[in-house]
Amino acid sequence: MSAEVRRFRVVVVGFGPVGARLCEELLPGIQAGRIDLTVIGAEKDAPYNRVLVAEMAVDRADAASITLHDPKESASAGAHVRLGTRVIGIDRVRRLVELSTGERVPYDRLVLATGARANVPTLVGVDRPSFDLVSLSTMGTGAMGVDPLLPNGVTVLRDLADAERIRAAVRERARIIVLGAGVLGLEFALLAADAGAKVAVVHHGPTPMPRSLDRGSGIVLAQALRARNVAVYAHSSAEAVAFRTKSDGTRTFDALVTAEGGYVRGDLLVMSCGVGARAELATVAGLRTAAGILVDEHLRSWTDENIFAIGDCAHVVEHTEETAGQTRLPGAPSGLIGPGWRQAEWLSQRLLAEAAGTELPVPAPPERHAVVMLKADEIDVVAVGDVGADIWDTPAPDEPSPHRHVAQWADPEHGRYLKMITRDGILDAFVSVGMPRTGAELTLLYNRRGELPADRSQLLRMDGADDSAMTDEDAFAPASTVCWCNGVTVQHVASSVAEGNRTVACLGRDTRAGTGCGGCKPRLAELIERFASTEKAPSA
Amino acid sequence: MSVATDTHCPYCALQCAMTLTPKTADAVTADPPLTVSGRSFPTNRGGLCKKGWTASTLLERDDRLRTPLVRDAHGDLVPSEWSAVLDLLANRIRTLQSESGPDSIGVFGGGGLTNEKAYQLGKFARIALGTSRIDYNGRFCMSSAAAAANRAFGIDRGLPFPLTDLDAAKTVLMLGSNVAETMPPFLSHLTGVREAGGLIVVDPRRSATARLTEEGQGLHLAPAPGTDLELLLGLAHVVIAEGLHDLTSIEERTAGFEELRRSVSAWWPARVQQVTGVPVGVLRDVARRLASGAETFILTGRGVEQHVNGTDTTTAAINLALILGLPTRPGSGYGTLTGQGNGQGGREHGQKCDQLPGYTKITDPGARAHVAKVWGVRPEDIPGPGLPAVELLASIGEPDGIRALLVHGSNPVISAPDAGAVRERLRRLELLVVCDFFLSDTAAMADIVLPVTQWAEEEGTMTNLEGRVIRRRRATEPPDGVRSELWVFSELAGRLDAPGHFDVDPAAVFDELARASEGGIADYSGLSHRLLDDEREAYWPYPRGTEGTPRPLLDGYRHPDGRARIVAVRVGPRAETTPTGEELTLVTGRLLEHYQSGVQTRRVSELMAARPFLEVTMHPSTAADRGLRDGDHAVLENSRGTVTARVATSASIRPDTLFMPFHFAGEHSANLLTIDAVDPISAMPEFKTAIVRVRSAAAR
Repeated sequence: MSAEVRRFRVVVVGFGPVGARLCEELLPGIQAGRIDLTVIGAEKDAPYNRVLVAEMAVDRADAASITLHDPKESASAGAHVRLGTRVIGIDRVRRLVELSTGERVPYDRLVLATGARANVPTLVGVDRPSFDLVSLSTMGTGAMGVDPLLPNGVTVLRDLADAERIRAAVRERARIIVLGAGVLGLEFALLAADAGAKVAVVHHGPTPMPRSLDRGSGIVLAQALRARNVAVYAHSSAEAVAFRTKSDGTRTFDALVTAEGGYVRGDLLVMSCGVGARAELATVAGLRTAAGILVDEHLRSWTDENIFAIGDCAHVVEHTEETAGQTRLPGAPSGLIGPGWRQAEWLSQRLLAEAAGTELPVPAPPERHAVVMLKADEIDVVAVGDVGADIWDTPAPDEPSPHRHVAQWADPEHGRYLKMITRDGILDAFVSVGMPRTGAELTLLYNRRGELPADRSQLLRMDGADDSAMTDEDAFAPASTVCWCNGVTVQHVASSVAEGNRTVACLGRDTRAGTGCGGCKPRLAELIERFASTEKAPSA
Repeated sequence: MSVATDTHCPYCALQCAMTLTPKTADAVTADPPLTVSGRSFPTNRGGLCKKGWTASTLLERDDRLRTPLVRDAHGDLVPSEWSAVLDLLANRIRTLQSESGPDSIGVFGGGGLTNEKAYQLGKFARIALGTSRIDYNGRFCMSSAAAAANRAFGIDRGLPFPLTDLDAAKTVLMLGSNVAETMPPFLSHLTGVREAGGLIVVDPRRSATARLTEEGQGLHLAPAPGTDLELLLGLAHVVIAEGLHDLTSIEERTAGFEELRRSVSAWWPARVQQVTGVPVGVLRDVARRLASGAETFILTGRGVEQHVNGTDTTTAAINLALILGLPTRPGSGYGTLTGQGNGQGGREHGQKCDQLPGYTKITDPGARAHVAKVWGVRPEDIPGPGLPAVELLASIGEPDGIRALLVHGSNPVISAPDAGAVRERLRRLELLVVCDFFLSDTAAMADIVLPVTQWAEEEGTMTNLEGRVIRRRRATEPPDGVRSELWVFSELAGRLDAPGHFDVDPAAVFDELARASEGGIADYSGLSHRLLDDEREAYWPYPRGTEGTPRPLLDGYRHPDGRARIVAVRVGPRAETTPTGEELTLVTGRLLEHYQSGVQTRRVSELMAARPFLEVTMHPSTAADRGLRDGDHAVLENSRGTVTARVATSASIRPDTLFMPFHFAGEHSANLLTIDAVDPISAMPEFKTAIVRVRSAAAR
């Protein structure tokens, strides 16, 4: 026993997609006997893909098909997996976490992967908890990792329980009001409308997805939403929620009241107003937070070098004297799963290296803006970066080169809109609406920092019917190939016909045309008829 | 001989049936000695492509090798005499082996050799040379598909169904295969699916095959190069998410579904679109079409297999087939399209470094004992596993590496990745011996060159892409001075005092192969030349006393528990970083007019007239941005090499992608630019995603 080296104790708080990925990547360290891993998740369910929760709410996916990880696999590999258990405190001095069960688990390294919770906006009639230090200290440890209780008929869309609530309304084809016109809200609105629910989207700006879209793309998208039976109430600031009493005496949601005096009635209110980091554990433990738990490029807390944070709860900002002094820090958690997974992979490499005493990995390069996609049947919106620049903007005199250049295409009648903003031919930002292939290709070019073709119109044509290009080829031009297998041209056929070969079989014996796959035989017959009847060879 | 001979084409794995007729006395002198005509057969239906039609022109070419060549003191290859050369060769082998042991001799085979030659080569290496260091060029084509199929099904028969099954298909998903150019007569089997509007071609190029989907006959998906795995994971995701999978088949016939379901949960359509460039709507349409329940096939080719994740990508295609229940559903299936003439048989009978005849493992004590008995040696006389091709070549000049290499039916100087480095390696050999019928680029570097027979001059068998064993027959006598490789093995074995017996009669060698394969996955024990001469449909496994197995998977999978293995695969690191800025991805491949390293087809005037030189296919806008136009010359370069090629602009290719065929020689070898990174499971090299920069050859 004495010879055994003490294993490196890693405790992970949060067993969502990001926490689960970290665990998977750490399993080799457990198997090598170097790491002792404990992972604690507040939800009882196995880690699942939150991106697909909206699909569950409309019965397009089930729990099994959105599960990402089997906790039993980690457990049988030797990890201690605690589901349905909350962490209620961190003792940073003694390096332990305190669980809702009263247990204490010691750590050498603590990883917070607590994710985010859906924001609850300020609405009369809905309690909105605060997670600042003062409120947290009055609420006590019972509030740690717990979500606020919302009134009947009011919900957010974040976890399986939310999906369950919403699914009942969708199945009844109820009137559903979506508050907020971000990607998640709109995707859900479209799915629910498709499933037969009566859906209205209420948002305060002039056009949907204001953080990602410019005016033109926003207008084209709003048109598309209406065409898909989603009512859109723009310029509407939600102010209050009104309730009614059902026949069984319970009080339930009745209408959303706007500052403009609107009264939008419905059966269910789905609030889709962004997410906020679950950082209360860190806040109470005295770790510095901003839009999330502040970590440096090594994903390590600014405040405690034994604590790391990844995923939606982590706000990555370089920790320098300058940033330390700032009250408003740039950036925020991306809210997307891809960057979270990359962080999990990188951190696992670091923890494995620490446990093995090998060289630590260098920090990953900073994430670029993440590409935002709105995906629904027949609606395609892809956008990234600041697409606000106007096509006629000229650079300010002091703006350093390379300058931004805008190329744009708008065809609102057919629901298409494209704006590309480049520097030195490389995409800085773009938005594409109603052009799926173009949107997909621009995403690749953006992510790879690939150079755009100087002929930008090339990118417009990808969704065209003539994508096959080359359709202008004259099928009867002398040099045009008829039989690919044997490289026989129209000219060859014409000469052979002139020599008296008037059947496909004769032509084949003479020129081998049609003697490969045989696919060109109908065309050969056509050519024989043409050349034999007119006795006219093609003009050279 | 004046009668017509029924045989098959010398080139690809479709092995089109043809008849060879000696030219008549009054024919033009310039005519080839044998006239080729297409022959009715279920695979080619009488059709032949340009390569087949012109194949016989190679038989009597002036530059045909007709005498052994030995490099003299001045470094020139000079004609020599067979017995002297064989004596010299045996002596050199003995000397090297006495200095460095049996493993100092390497053997490199080919997927174009007959079953008899492939078998005998493996045996010759193991018991005449006593070396474990044998592998073959099939490592560059079929190894990933083979590894994936063996892992999933417990058997690797390229198409586990007759080709004619495709005729009734309603949907065919063809991934990374350009059959319209590589095996044109195959297309007759796609007529039905095109009429049904169900041909789905996945290729970064709008290849000739992809164009067959036009006019409502199907769909072309052009994912970014190297993202096929993600595309397939996305298709599996949609199938499962939309509940389109065949639960009964999954529960009764497979293992591993839950892991797959969890792994593809991470590949929802929007994420797949971001990586592949294939729109979500298209992805869903394809998944739904595949799951329609009608006759559906999934076929893979080198385009998805020749990658560092080739085994996993092929596995992802197989997984998709498995969750749809295709492999065991009559009229549906999964298959890989074998490329080389005997690419199927060539991977079954012992040319692979880890394998013994009958597709058995060289580490399996039972297989070793059985084969040892057939060979007349003790099991412990058979060496263990050797090194796969890329590693084998890389061992030249290294401590414990090979000092000599015997090459048969292969031209690695052109076909191996990072060809520049391979040339350097081969120069460091102390002895390079090449058997060929022309002075190939590899032969030109050799110390000893041995002239051997061509297809129309020999008897034997080939196993085509369906796993159908067919007869290759002699239609003419070889030129004086040319010998069969079976004779060479026998002569050398005698000079090396090898144990066992090395027959020179192909029928007798086949009988021995049949015995050696008995009980293996690829069991040929019920077959013989005589039996095959009645033109029966002979699909392996063909155990003694049976009639063969046209559709081996319909009776269940070949793992002991009868279940297929669904192996959840993950996206791992790429061979190189993704291209950025003005970098482009080079995809290598084939042309209709040429075959493999081009040693044969570059000698056929009709084919050369059609495709005389190396061209790089480039999108017009990609060309324009580099000051290039159609017909200009472009320089492609990266850290491994530089190649100049004529530009052929075409809107049929993605702007971020270039295409070059690998058939050309010397400084026009596309493989000067490819990387020698290999798949960790199959050791297949990455041929499809070399990162290059392009500039005009005019502007320096």
